[in-house]
Amino acid sequence: MTFDAIVVGSGMSGGWAAKELAERGLKVLVLERGKSLEHGADYTDGLSPWELHQYGMVSENEADAEYPVQSQCYAFSAATKHLWVKDSDHPYTTPPDRPFLWIRGYHLGGRSIMWARQSYRMSEMDFEANKKDGHGVDWPIRYADMASWYDHVETFAGISGEANGLDHLPDGKFLPPMALTPPEAEFGRKVEAAFPTRRLITGRCAHLTAPTKEHEELGRSACQYRSLCERGCSFGAYFSSLSATLPAAQRTKNVTIVTDAIVHSVVQDPKTGKATGVRVIDRNTKAGRTYDARMVFLCASTLGTAQVMLNSRSAEDPRGIANRSDQVGRNLIDHLSGLGASGIYPGHADIYHRGRRPNGFYIPRYRNVTEPADGYVRGYGFQGRILRDGWQRGMSEAGVGADLKARLRKPGPWRVSLSGFGEMLPRPENRITLSETNTDKWGIPVPHIDVSLGPNEHAMIAQVGSDARAMLELAGCTDIEVRKHYGGVGLGIHEMGTARMGHDPNTSVVNRYNQAHDVPNLFVTDGASMSSSGCQNPSLTYMALSARAAHHAAAFLKEGKI
Amino acid sequence: MPTSHTAFAADRRAILRSAILLVGGIAIAPELLAATGPTFFSPSERAQLDLLCETMIPTTDTPGAIAAGVPAFLDTLMANWASPKSRAHIQGVIASLARAAEADTGKPLAALSAAERADWLARRDSALLAAKDPAYRQFKQLVLTGYYYSEAGATQELRYELVPGAWEPSIPVTADTRSWAA
Ligand SMILES: Cc1cc2nc3c(=O)[nH]c(=O)nc-3n(C[C@H](O)[C@H](O)[C@H](O)COP(=O)(O)OP(=O)(O)OC[C@H]3O[C@@H](n4cnc5c(N)ncnc54)[C@H](O)[C@@H]3O)c2cc1C
Ligand code: SF4
Repeated sequence: MTFDAIVVGSGMSGGWAAKELAERGLKVLVLERGKSLEHGADYTDGLSPWELHQYGMVSENEADAEYPVQSQCYAFSAATKHLWVKDSDHPYTTPPDRPFLWIRGYHLGGRSIMWARQSYRMSEMDFEANKKDGHGVDWPIRYADMASWYDHVETFAGISGEANGLDHLPDGKFLPPMALTPPEAEFGRKVEAAFPTRRLITGRCAHLTAPTKEHEELGRSACQYRSLCERGCSFGAYFSSLSATLPAAQRTKNVTIVTDAIVHSVVQDPKTGKATGVRVIDRNTKAGRTYDARMVFLCASTLGTAQVMLNSRSAEDPRGIANRSDQVGRNLIDHLSGLGASGIYPGHADIYHRGRRPNGFYIPRYRNVTEPADGYVRGYGFQGRILRDGWQRGMSEAGVGADLKARLRKPGPWRVSLSGFGEMLPRPENRITLSETNTDKWGIPVPHIDVSLGPNEHAMIAQVGSDARAMLELAGCTDIEVRKHYGGVGLGIHEMGTARMGHDPNTSVVNRYNQAHDVPNLFVTDGASMSSSGCQNPSLTYMALSARAAHHAAAFLKEGKI
Repeated sequence: MPTSHTAFAADRRAILRSAILLVGGIAIAPELLAATGPTFFSPSERAQLDLLCETMIPTTDTPGAIAAGVPAFLDTLMANWASPKSRAHIQGVIASLARAAEADTGKPLAALSAAERADWLARRDSALLAAKDPAYRQFKQLVLTGYYYSEAGATQELRYELVPGAWEPSIPVTADTRSWAA
């Protein structure tokens, strides 16, 4: 049978594409390379620490041999091990002196299961940035093109936050915010007093603080403040493909989901230039097969999508499908992360907190917005929190015996941490290519990822650290430790840019509708389409782009345009 | 939200079962491990380890390290979790602490009174941490993890709620306040 649309990938973007296309009456096939995952039954969020295998500690030899990259992610543990790829099964190469840490999970729902749920809009400033400072290509869309789609995805996903009235971090359709701790609120006042244009706001996160009927109809319920989220949430209290978009898509009866189906390449008709479907390799049997459709949505994640496109080679397109511009695989960006500072926050010994808030505060970007920057363009924001230390402090402090127990029985000092997320510039030389000689278990060429930081990034990194220190010092913090960039791109887990959006088919891959310039019935709606990254966590933007593209694609199909 | 709590309790067993299938070997209580699990350490190492763990985290008004299964936890970790380097660290720490006890006090660990052992380990502990001794730091980290993540450590010594159900950003600290285990 021929489907109206094939959606490749069931993660954050693919879930949205499937839902929006199916709700418009299209017959949709979702192809997911990984295993199936059942909402609730396959989660480990019912387990207390002592019920976890080795209290959550993955064996060191196993981590080294099978998960050398994934185990560097904070969310990797015995409780989530089944949600990360075995690096040993999914090889890629990098130049020896330029590590890239590709953090990923291949299963139904993709990384929408393990993500940290921070959700911020991009602003006019972000969409204009490339045009203004000349890095990358101009976005063919502006905030006005996205605003209603942000509204749409926020309302359905459920984003908790507060309206702050900032032009460069637009407000959205928010569920009630999660409260700050008194030290966080006080820290905000101190920062704002010292730097009148900086703001400390409540983090905006994809959690149901007060579910609506629309959420409840999908079996989702209110957040219980457990912070076990990366194990999957049986309450469906945070947004994921499994809690929200895929069940909504399935409700239409227009969707077929096939797991264990590794998309090898897109099939293109040399006569019409259109995509006719995709080639798939069965993950288990390694047998090949083809699925036909009237259009194809690539939502396999930034690097996965680039891999499929580059591997879709034909006599007409030896460099891969929709790659006339030679920009497929290029301009790979991640957010600078691992930066910031932590310290002990003074006072407030008489209060504590209860519950585990899966969120923190956010200090939106101010560099090159309201304050100048030290020799670089763009900027960074900080995620942070101020909570009391737990027993873990005892691991590095002297003390044993009854004294140790008595001391750790009481909450420790308040500790502040600030984590900077900085914007990286799109540069064509930062790219993913495919090996000409090596293939993986399934006969698919092994990716080679070559990314380095440029002078802009290095200048920015220096100021993230000094800003974080300055804010902690003015607040009277002690024991301040400044964290430097970890030195390996990828750990921001915000890869973007490998099939960028632009006006010009000669310099960009997709147009303002996420439609490939060269192949009108091929759409790329994940992070690959991002022309620049802003410094905000990007997934909300992928959701909005996916929903928007699906809307237009369905209309184009109906109008006989594609 | 009482309704979701109930739903959750009913689901919990199913979740547990599937988790065992998924990640393998979950939900084995430490007591079980002690009875049936691996015995990585030699009997004499294990005896020293018991003493060291219980000295670091003694029985007070709440269970100590042995009752909380800490030595058994370390035994399982060494058998199943530890890299050769970590094994060498932990076995090295046990041996060197046992030697040091004798050198410092003139008596083997087992011959010291609990108070003498506590006094001796406190001095040793601050010296080793001040020297940033990596093997000892790892040892202390594992002992504390084994204790505070055990059911006894998390729920009797500290406080733990699987499903807090609410976020309270500010509650008064009282004489009864205990730290959250997680
Ligand atoms: C620990 C962690 C924390 C994060 N925190 C945040 C955060 O706070 N805020 C935020 O905005 N983002 C966050 N992210 C990033 C976020 O998860 C990603 O931006 C988002 O999931 C990307 O969506 P996607 O659809 O492009 O890819 P994914 O969600 O990764 O989904 C891609 C899917 O495609 C499948 N696939 C890949 N290749 C193929 C193929 N050839 N054939 C078939 N299927 C294929 C994969 O198996 C996967 O299921 C975090 C990520 C992690 C891991
Ligand atoms: S904190 Fe909320 S979203 Fe996260 S696991 Fe708990 S209930 Fe689910």
